[in-house]
Amino acid sequence: MKKIDQCFGWLLGAWVAAMPVAWAADELPIFDAHVHYSQDAWERMPPKEAIALLRKAGVKRALVSSSNDDGNQKLYAEAPDLILPSLRTYRTRADIGTWFKDEGVAAYLQERLKKYRYVAIGEFHVYGADADAPVARLAVQLAKQHKLFLHAHSDIDAVERIFKQDPDARVLWAHSGFERPEKVREMLRKHKNLWCDLAFRNDHASGGKLDADWRAAFMAFPDRFMVGTDTYTAERWHYVVEHANWSRGWMADLPRDVAERIAYRNGDAIFGNLLKP
Amino acid sequence: MKKSRAWKVLWGGVLTAGVCVSSLIGVTQANEPRVVEFTQAEISRILSHGPWPMSWTPDVTNRVSGNTHAVDLGERLFFDEKLSVKENVSCGTCHIAEYNWTDGVKRNKGQAMVDRNTPTLMNMRHHRWFALDGAADSLWAQSMRPIVDPRELASNAAHVAQYLRRDADLSCRYEKTFGVSPAKQDDEAVLVGVGKVMAAFQETLVTEFTPFDTFRDALARGDRATAALYPREARRGLKIFIGKGNCSTCHTGPMFTNGEFHDIGVSHFIDGDSKKVDGGRHDGIKKLTASKFNLLGPYNDDATRASATKTTHVKPEHRNFGEFKVPSLRNVGYTGPYMHSGEMLSLNDVVRHYSELNVDRLHADGESLLKPLKLTAQESADLVAFLQTLNMDRAPPWRGKEYAHPPCLLGAKSAADAHYAP
Repeated sequence: MKKIDQCFGWLLGAWVAAMPVAWAADELPIFDAHVHYSQDAWERMPPKEAIALLRKAGVKRALVSSSNDDGNQKLYAEAPDLILPSLRTYRTRADIGTWFKDEGVAAYLQERLKKYRYVAIGEFHVYGADADAPVARLAVQLAKQHKLFLHAHSDIDAVERIFKQDPDARVLWAHSGFERPEKVREMLRKHKNLWCDLAFRNDHASGGKLDADWRAAFMAFPDRFMVGTDTYTAERWHYVVEHANWSRGWMADLPRDVAERIAYRNGDAIFGNLLKP
Repeated sequence: MKKSRAWKVLWGGVLTAGVCVSSLIGVTQANEPRVVEFTQAEISRILSHGPWPMSWTPDVTNRVSGNTHAVDLGERLFFDEKLSVKENVSCGTCHIAEYNWTDGVKRNKGQAMVDRNTPTLMNMRHHRWFALDGAADSLWAQSMRPIVDPRELASNAAHVAQYLRRDADLSCRYEKTFGVSPAKQDDEAVLVGVGKVMAAFQETLVTEFTPFDTFRDALARGDRATAALYPREARRGLKIFIGKGNCSTCHTGPMFTNGEFHDIGVSHFIDGDSKKVDGGRHDGIKKLTASKFNLLGPYNDDATRASATKTTHVKPEHRNFGEFKVPSLRNVGYTGPYMHSGEMLSLNDVVRHYSELNVDRLHADGESLLKPLKLTAQESADLVAFLQTLNMDRAPPWRGKEYAHPPCLLGAKSAADAHYAP
C-alpha cells in the first residue's frame, strides 16, 4: 500500500510539473518580429501615431521593414528604443515578384546599407530556385558582410538554398513558411541558425489553447520562435493591439518561461544588441 | 472559330448538361447576331448561376418563419418609427423598397452616421451569415441589431416591449403570431419576437426574373432563338465574368455570392480617418460569438441545434481583419453605391477597382486569386453590361407603411390573415 501511495505521489508530482501553471499573461511584453511601415502606412499614419499603437499593444521592440525604406527610417527616428530596422528588398511593394533578378534593387540595397544601420535584410519573398537568382544571392552576401539576419518569406527549398550559399547565414523564417509544425521542427533540427516567426497564422492556437503539435515544437525549441503581426496595410496597424492580446492568450497555455521567450526574450536576445556600436 | 463551330461548342455544353436539343438541329443561323463562343466548361458555369428563383424552406431557427401573421406584423414594425426611442427612425428609413431595399447613398444616418453602406435586404432568406461583417448567424438576430444600435434606432428591449404591450392592435397581432401576449413575456423575449417577425417579413423580399435568367434558362432548355436575344456585349461580359475576371469564383451560384467574406483591397479606415478602422469580419465573428442571440443561445427554435453547427466552428483569424461579405449581384444595378463603405459610386468604378487592383493591399498568402484584370475599355463596358442583365426588368416597386388592414381581432379571421404569402 505504501508503495502504491508513493507511486501515486510521484505520478501526481510529475503531472503537476507538466501542467502549465496558471499565470497572468496579460502583462507579457511583446517583441513583434513582423512589422511593415510602407508608403501607404506612413502617408496615412504619421510615425507618432504608429509608435503610439505599438506602445499601446505592449510591444517593447519591433523588427520593422518598409517599402521603400524611408518609412523605416522615419519610424526609427521617432522611437530608436523600440524600432529595429530591417532593410526590405523592395523600393515599392511591386518589386515583390522580381526583386531577386533586378539590378536596380541590388544598387538600392548597397546604397541603403552604406547610409543606415540595420539588424536584418527582409522581409523578402523568394521561393525555390529564385533564391539562387543574382540579387537574392547578393542579399545573402550582404547579410554576411554586414552581419545581418535574413528575414525570408520562403518555402523550404529557398531556405535550403540560402543555407547552401552561406552555411553560417542567420535566417528568420517568416510565417515559418506556412509549413506544418512537424516540418518546422525538422527544419529547426537541421539548421541551428534558423528562427521562426508565427505571423499571419492561426493554426497553432484556437480559443487560447495550443495545438498539440505546435506545443511540441515550442517546447522542443523554446529559443527559436517569435510572434509577429504583419502590418501589410496601413489599417493593419490597428490590429497590433488585437494581435498582441491574442498572442498573450495562447501563450498563457505554455509554461511561463517558454511564453516569455517566445513573446519577447528570443527577439530581444537575437536582435536587441545588433545596433549597438 | 467559325460560327457553325461556335454553335457546336455552345450547344455541346448544353447536351453535356443533359438537355435535349434535337429539335434545334438544322435551325438556320443566317440572321442571328454573331455568337460569343462558350466552351462546355463555360456553359456549365453559366448554368450554375440558376435556376431562379431558388427553392426555399422556412428557417428552422425561427418558429414563425413563413407564418403569414408574422409577415404582416413584421412589415408593420419594419416601417414603424415608434420602435426607436426618439420615434424618428425605422428600419425602412435606410432600407427603401424602390432602392432595392437599400438607400442609394454612401452611408446613412439614424441617430448618428453609421460606418457602412446600407446592404440590400433582397434575397436575405438565402444567406448564411448576415450583415457585412457576419455579426449575426440568423436573419432574426440580425434584425434586432439595428433596433438597439445607438447610431440607428437606438432602442432597447424595454422600450420595444412596452410599445407592443401598450398598442392593442400590435399586441393582438403579436399574440396571433406567437400564441402568447407580449404582456406575458419578458422584455428580451419580446425583442426577439420582433426580430423574428421582421425576419419573416424580409424573407418575402425576393428579386424577380432577370434577362440573364432568360438567357441562362434558354441555354438550359436549348432554346436558341431566345438565347440569341441576350445582348452581345453582355455575352462578352459574361465570358469575362466566368473566365479571365475570375468573378464567378466568389460570386457563385444563383445568388452570385458564396456568402463568405474576403479582402478585396478596399480601404477599411472609417471615413478616411487613420485613427478609426473597420475590422470587418474579424470584429463580426467576435460580436457573433459574444452574442446571446446567436444560434447557440436559448432563442434558437431549432430543437436539433443542427443549424448552430456553423456558429460552433467559426473563430476569428488574422486574415478576417478587413474582410467583408461578398454581396449578391442580383439587382446589383439598383444597389449602388458599392463596397462596404459605399466608396464606389458606380459599377464602372467597381470594375475599374478590379481592373487596376492594388496588390500592395493584399497579403502575399491571402487572396492569391486577385490580380489586376487590366481590362480594356471595351472589356470593362462589356462586364458592366453583363452585370446590368442581373437586374430585374422593373425597378423594385414602392412599399411603405401607408397601407390599410382591418384591425386585428383575436380569434377572428381577417382579410389580413391571408394577405401575404411568404
